[in-house]
Amino acid sequence: MSGKSRQWFAVRGPVTATQKIVSALLVWAIFFAAWEFMSFAGLVNPLLVPPPHKVVATLVDLFVNRGFTGDVAISVGRVMFSFAIACAIAVPLGVLMGVFPSIEAFLNPFVSGWRYLPAPSFIPILLMWFGTGEAPKLVLLVIGVIFFLITLIMDHTKEVRQELIETGMTLGADRMTIVRTVVVPAVLPNILVAMRQMLAVSWTYLVIAEIVASTDGIGAMMMRARRFLHTDEIMSGIIVIGVLGIALDILFRYLHAWFFPYLSKSKS
Amino acid sequence: MMTVPTSSSSSKLSINDLTKRFAMPRGEEIVAISGVSFDVEENQVCVILGPSGCGKSTVLRMIAGLERPSSGSLILDGRSIDGPGRDRGMVFQAYTSFDWLTVRQNVEYGMRINGVGAKERRSRADHFIKLVQLSEFADAYPSRLSGGMKQRVAIARTLANDPELLLMDEPFGALDAETRWHMQELLVEIANNTSTTIIMITHDIEEAIFVADKIVFMSRHPGRVHRIIVPEFKGGERIADKEALIAREGYAELEREIMRLMRQQGGH
Repeated sequence: MSGKSRQWFAVRGPVTATQKIVSALLVWAIFFAAWEFMSFAGLVNPLLVPPPHKVVATLVDLFVNRGFTGDVAISVGRVMFSFAIACAIAVPLGVLMGVFPSIEAFLNPFVSGWRYLPAPSFIPILLMWFGTGEAPKLVLLVIGVIFFLITLIMDHTKEVRQELIETGMTLGADRMTIVRTVVVPAVLPNILVAMRQMLAVSWTYLVIAEIVASTDGIGAMMMRARRFLHTDEIMSGIIVIGVLGIALDILFRYLHAWFFPYLSKSKS
Repeated sequence: MMTVPTSSSSSKLSINDLTKRFAMPRGEEIVAISGVSFDVEENQVCVILGPSGCGKSTVLRMIAGLERPSSGSLILDGRSIDGPGRDRGMVFQAYTSFDWLTVRQNVEYGMRINGVGAKERRSRADHFIKLVQLSEFADAYPSRLSGGMKQRVAIARTLANDPELLLMDEPFGALDAETRWHMQELLVEIANNTSTTIIMITHDIEEAIFVADKIVFMSRHPGRVHRIIVPEFKGGERIADKEALIAREGYAELEREIMRLMRQQGGH
């Protein structure tokens, strides 16, 4: 083996930043090249699998000429609004359940039960209760993530070390002061991590909600396109959903570094 | 150098016939400590020493109010100890810096939750940060500090809160040998420069002889006070230089004597 390949394929060896970027671009380039080649060679039905360059052209056209931005904004708005509601309930409940075993003993059987009920199974009854407006979508998105969020936050709260709590007690803190000045700041970074994980799940339920019953949003656009066999539009929708998901994930990572600078060892 | 306080009629802390039993899952009981009695004088450095499993941590936790005795009494300044409070600050073996606060904010924490004004807080914090030689790190976050520095933050934070007792549960147990020895010297200095009474737990004989005005030697199964040892060879002084201490006549004899006790009681 040459020195170069030994360097690139060292067992458990470190991967440089450049190598990471090159590798990430390369794997996607291979994927799109293979796809483009299969379309070009006539190996796939162009009606069902349009070539990538056509999907990209459609994507641009959707944004520039056909008001797709509005659909994207509606979808993002639904996720953000429902997720804010879910967090507003789950964060205080999860923390209290993680601090007070008596609250956990009361609420956890309820929360655990709901975790095993798949949120999409509520779609028929939500449609009957709320019709086809915004309400059933928001409710679906909330119940899809809230019970997992509560459980994750409760578990993270339980992981706050007992010595930190006892230190607070021997410095004269009462119960609520302990929760406010020790437990909450200690668990906050992990709460943000839990939120980042569950936001991805929320995004999944959004598409389900919009595909089943909606006239606007990314999912609705994709279902309309299906009726007219516009596979290029469906694929554009998939790409937009993926890119937005990654963008939100990166945003949360930046928020984490920004809110919790003390977790990085390099500088103060 | 300072003269060490000796026994007086009214002790700072008086422990009488203390017993702690733990219930085991199958209904059996384990007697962790039994009939423990000893006194600690104002401004004394009292070290509780003994083989592992002798219940010395349990005794300290009961003084802190973090555990309740099964029977017996703990009297501090004429009042019975009931639950944790700011008059008994504890430093643990595990690092307990609040990572989200700077060194100064950590040291101010106890004063802040107890309603001490900002100005006094600041000046007291600066004083104790200086005492533990961390002035140049006052605005740094704990993640930038070494283990020994984190323990110094914990000691400064406890002292700044002006407790009657400074309780330390093997505070230097996780530190490397050199840091440990510096911390012991620092502790002797602190004892000479504050009016706080110190109770410290260790299983390190050298450490015990170095810092103690009085050693409570405990044996195990169940934990009892085996002997009270006053290092007479120090001639009623605290010696802040460890080399000077070891060079003193009488040091080696005492160390040998305690090692013999440890071997008998440890059952190895």
